[in-house]
Amino acid sequence: MNQRFISASPHIHDNLNIQKIMVTVIITLIPAGAWAIYLFGLQVLWITLTAIVSAVLTEFVCQKIMKRPVSILDGSAVLTGLLLAYNLPPDVPLWIPAVGSLVAVFIGKQIFGGLGFNPMNPALIGRAFLMASWPVHMTVFDAPLRNNMPVSGIDSVTGATPLAVFKHMREILIHKSDLLPEQVTQAQQTMAELNGAYMKLFIGQVGGCIGEVSALLLFLGGCYLLYHHIISWKIPVAYIGTVMILTTILGENPLFHALSGGLFLGAIYMATDMVTSPVTFRGRLLFGVGCGILTVVIRFWGGYPEGVSYSILLMNLVTPLLDKYTRPKVFGG
Amino acid sequence: MLREMLKYALILMCVTLAASGALGFVNQLTQPKIAAQKQLELQKGLSAVLPGTADGIIVPDEENAVYRGYANQDTSDFRGIAFSSFAKGYSSTIWTLVGLDSNGTVMKIRVLGQQETPGLGTKCMEIRSGESEPWWQAQFEGKFAPDLRVDKDGGEIVSITGATITSRAITNDIAARSGTIIEKLKMTE
Amino acid sequence: MSFKKDLIKGIFQENPVFRLMLGLCPVLATSTSVQNALGMGSAVIFVLLCSNIIVSLVRNWVPAKIRIPIYISIIATFVTIVDLVMAGYLPDLHKSLGLFIPLIVVNCIILGRAEAFAGKNGVFRSILDALGMGIGFTLALTIIATFREILGNGTWMGVPLFGPSFEPVLLMILSPGAFITIGLLIGLLNWTDHARKIRHS
Repeated sequence: MNQRFISASPHIHDNLNIQKIMVTVIITLIPAGAWAIYLFGLQVLWITLTAIVSAVLTEFVCQKIMKRPVSILDGSAVLTGLLLAYNLPPDVPLWIPAVGSLVAVFIGKQIFGGLGFNPMNPALIGRAFLMASWPVHMTVFDAPLRNNMPVSGIDSVTGATPLAVFKHMREILIHKSDLLPEQVTQAQQTMAELNGAYMKLFIGQVGGCIGEVSALLLFLGGCYLLYHHIISWKIPVAYIGTVMILTTILGENPLFHALSGGLFLGAIYMATDMVTSPVTFRGRLLFGVGCGILTVVIRFWGGYPEGVSYSILLMNLVTPLLDKYTRPKVFGG
Repeated sequence: MLREMLKYALILMCVTLAASGALGFVNQLTQPKIAAQKQLELQKGLSAVLPGTADGIIVPDEENAVYRGYANQDTSDFRGIAFSSFAKGYSSTIWTLVGLDSNGTVMKIRVLGQQETPGLGTKCMEIRSGESEPWWQAQFEGKFAPDLRVDKDGGEIVSITGATITSRAITNDIAARSGTIIEKLKMTE
Repeated sequence: MSFKKDLIKGIFQENPVFRLMLGLCPVLATSTSVQNALGMGSAVIFVLLCSNIIVSLVRNWVPAKIRIPIYISIIATFVTIVDLVMAGYLPDLHKSLGLFIPLIVVNCIILGRAEAFAGKNGVFRSILDALGMGIGFTLALTIIATFREILGNGTWMGVPLFGPSFEPVLLMILSPGAFITIGLLIGLLNWTDHARKIRHS
């Protein structure tokens, strides 16, 4: 497992390695899912299982129809389903993960030729499809059953995510002059509460998508993957670092932005996808920086509260270019 | 060379002359029909937003860019005024007719033209099955127009899920325009 | 035999949308519902038929150097006629097709057929070519619109197909839905073609 592959993507590994890598990644993701079950209830388990079963089934059917070797045992479809489920709100109806996994594997992966040929992260394609198709299901979050972060002025039943609250309050503070003074004071108070809630954000006692709530568990999983050289430090560090630096420059709280939303899940598990991220040293740094800039731009000025998945998808498209222009010079060449 | 250019110019002129002749003819044929369609659409919208004027008349007041609605033909029973709101929505300019009674309270509104995102912003025109009016527009009725706000801004208008920009644009534009109109009309009357 | 080929080729082997990849912009924009598709298709058939007839009639008097401006004038005239008539008699359709009626002027199919066929062939064959190409365009547009309207709106020709519990796939009536549908359909056609070739050889 300590080998490093430096070649232009798409990478072709032998099956043994793919399977081992996938299984390791899946195992490190399990604690975050278990935490979500504890936090939101058993429906999270059903959503995750539905996504996985649908992804594996789609992969199997596609490979049968397209007359390709069936490779559902390599775990890549399982991982796609798992990551998709982790990107869903904890209370979506079960057909959402089923359709999402179908789109993720069929349009995101098999249409392009299967594992290794997909230009973009399949799980994120599935999420983008669901987001555009059923925005209401995808943006309504149940509040956690336990230990919800109390934020005044926010409807606790719909349980908006910290980033959604942040965006709303920021808009109020920008348009201060048009609004009543009570509203502004309320917004300032809410902002202060958000910014003071590091521990809740870090441990994961907030509303959000299934897999993104606990930064701590994702961080531990990432450390394990780093230790075993399954991912490299460059993309996650560049990504999270860029977000923190930019938010500091913009006068917001960098820790709040690093810990909230899907940043840890995205930076550690999705931006580092071997097929769709650059392989060169500088390419990876640039990839992370690009993701970070896009995420902050979407969070501050975009139409959605969170921008991690779209940032990664957009940077996926630039990956071949990054690899081309950051290829190390041959010595003496 | 010059002769050739002249020849080409002449040919092109003939072609464009013939084309404009044909177009002028078709234009003359269809113009009254097109104007009538536009008038009909406006008329339908006006009688919808000014209830009670079915037997009366609606008179345009060009000076103030509003329409005055009366319940009878001799313009003694004043019912209210109607005006057009043009709001900058998410992907288009949304044309809404608004009817106000003499207190500045909304009687009805009708969105007549928009090109918003299908399935989200277009819900502002959605008529639920079994109902006769667009549900989103119905909630404006009976509210004092200059105070209209969507719920996200602390108002009473429930914004369309996933289309806050559209909802806010229409609501704010109606509130702003009705404010100036009410002020202006009080000054003139 | 050759006449039949003039008519048929535009529908299948040389389908403007799936094979020649012409006029994709209006296809993407007006395939949100089957009604729009049929309206757009009929407008294109009318303009294509008229412009092919006129271009074929005057082809011997048109100097080669200024043929493009002449063709465009002819096409633009018929497009404006369609636009005016539609605005007068079918205001709802006119509203939903919007800008895409005037844009038929620059639709590559029409100039393409004037340039590639009507400018070189007799009136009768040009009529057949226009009908074939027009029907091929309308057919492709309607197929794409069928997928998009059923999935994206739960209706076909405005008729609801599913119960109220069906939640439409919004993406399908937004622009990405058009790109995905057309890409998958072209892919499917190429795939079946490829399979057939393999079987033959």
